[in-house]
Amino acid sequence: MTGKMNAKMTAGIRGGLILAVALLIAIVLSLMIGQIRLSASDLWTGLLTGKGPGALTLRVLRGPGVVTAIGAGAALGASGAIFQILLRNPLAAPDVMGFTSGAGLAVVCGVLAGTSLPMPLLSAAGGLAAACAVAILAIKRDGSQVPITLILVGLGIGFLTTAGNSFIVTRLPPEQAAEAQRWLTGSLAARDWGHAAQVFGCGAVLAVILAIQVRSLGLLELGDDLATGLGLKSNRARLKLAGTGVLLAAAGVAVAGPVPFIALMAGPLGMRITGATQPGGRIVSAAVTGAIITVLADLAARSIVPGLQLPAGVMTGIFGAPYLLWLLSREMEAGDI
Amino acid sequence: MTRMNDNALKAENLTIGYGERTVIKDLSLDFPSGRMTAILGPNGCGKSTLLRALARLITPAKGTVTLGSDNVFAMDTRALARRLAILPQASKAPEGITVADLVRRGRTPWRGLFSPWSDADAAAVERALKEVGLEDMSERPIDQLSGGQRQRAWIALVLAQDTPCLLLDEPTTWLDLTHQIEVLSLVRERNRAQGVTVITVLHDLNLAARFYDTLVLLGPSGLIAAGSPQDVLMEENLMAGLGLSAMVVPDPITGTPMVVPR
Repeated sequence: MTGKMNAKMTAGIRGGLILAVALLIAIVLSLMIGQIRLSASDLWTGLLTGKGPGALTLRVLRGPGVVTAIGAGAALGASGAIFQILLRNPLAAPDVMGFTSGAGLAVVCGVLAGTSLPMPLLSAAGGLAAACAVAILAIKRDGSQVPITLILVGLGIGFLTTAGNSFIVTRLPPEQAAEAQRWLTGSLAARDWGHAAQVFGCGAVLAVILAIQVRSLGLLELGDDLATGLGLKSNRARLKLAGTGVLLAAAGVAVAGPVPFIALMAGPLGMRITGATQPGGRIVSAAVTGAIITVLADLAARSIVPGLQLPAGVMTGIFGAPYLLWLLSREMEAGDI
Repeated sequence: MTRMNDNALKAENLTIGYGERTVIKDLSLDFPSGRMTAILGPNGCGKSTLLRALARLITPAKGTVTLGSDNVFAMDTRALARRLAILPQASKAPEGITVADLVRRGRTPWRGLFSPWSDADAAAVERALKEVGLEDMSERPIDQLSGGQRQRAWIALVLAQDTPCLLLDEPTTWLDLTHQIEVLSLVRERNRAQGVTVITVLHDLNLAARFYDTLVLLGPSGLIAAGSPQDVLMEENLMAGLGLSAMVVPDPITGTPMVVPR
């Protein structure tokens, strides 16, 4: 038994190492590649001495964007894992269910109205409003909620908020409209250390709140009746977890825009790599995987077409949309839809 | 030494409904402490509803449930979870989770938020795994087990919860006869060894008569009979409750009543 347990732990450590190395490589590549190509030694000298092109890149040009991407990706990935575990469905993610575009809509509305409220607050309000709308519209006649209904209603709310976003973009003056359009696709261009500090600050607070709730998540995934039988106040616990998940997603959206499909893909991908099956391990795997995807998507968006900076969301969309289609067809085959 | 009736469950004038539909009407029943009681009846008669109400998973429109001298609906959730465990029908394990991971979650009511895994927790999990005979498969993912093994893993979860009251909702459904007997035997072992009060929703009348001390037969319009297997499994009761025309003969092995449909 101990032998097997060790084998399982070793596999987990190996998976964790793979993720850590992948993240490191993604970060280094992302710092090296761009309009001006740097060598690893340029970066190293810049890091040690604080002088030269490497230092400028780290401090101003690419450093803040990469750190922001890590934070936003981790927040989105963790949020996706929470909903996937909570609803026991790989389709359940804040981007599929319209929470991230709801957060985006609130931010764009705020900008249009010229409000001085901080972005994370707007984003959180929008995300929570979208989540409440989904939760209320998905209530069945007998008062219960079924995961697949929540997901499909969420898809609908997602379309609605996206349409709202498009409408608002048409009401903006041209320069602002282009900027809003780029942000709504999900973009990490022109991020500064303020954005990085913001997403890591919000993320750290939410991570602590989430850590306290991980055990409840492990009970809820056994089903409500069993969770209640094991002493959990299931409804309240589910509400708190969903709230934490929405706020995590909103924290990511506030700095990177509603980048699609990261939250959807990070969980299953991370789980496949680390072999984590417990909620805590799954969330951490998803967060790191989300960070990797986001850093790479931003890198690809910056460098795939020379001289043109695409929004990172275009890249995640290219991989995420086919994945979503595949998931949907698999769920239909399983008869869940 | 706790008082004899501390672990007796008592339903008093229970009325439970879903929306407009009343499933259980004005039902009063005693589930004696340390005994095994099976709830029998046709589909849709409210067997599971009754069991869920006993475990406070559903709030009745009228009436109350007491455990020992405490009103179940007034108890703290966690305090109740230390005294009463319920295994709902057909639970589905999370993807990839191992037997030990599942069974460990049964210790939740005994653990503080930040308290580490204790020796008592480890001992309870180990004992539960041994009772269901899965001690050698504890690191296997649940989805790789056979149906019978899987059901035993779920039962180990509630055994690890270590409560003096154990409620099981159709624990033998989908299992073949051999595994049904296996599951009921291990539940009875726990009952005999520790005086645990067991209440089970069951379909098989003959197995119920063999393994259980007390039977409760519900019909489409309420309680038909409650008492010893001999008192409950009578031809007129079977007709009234299940609409089953049958002969009742002594089981050639155990002497308990055996229902032979006509």
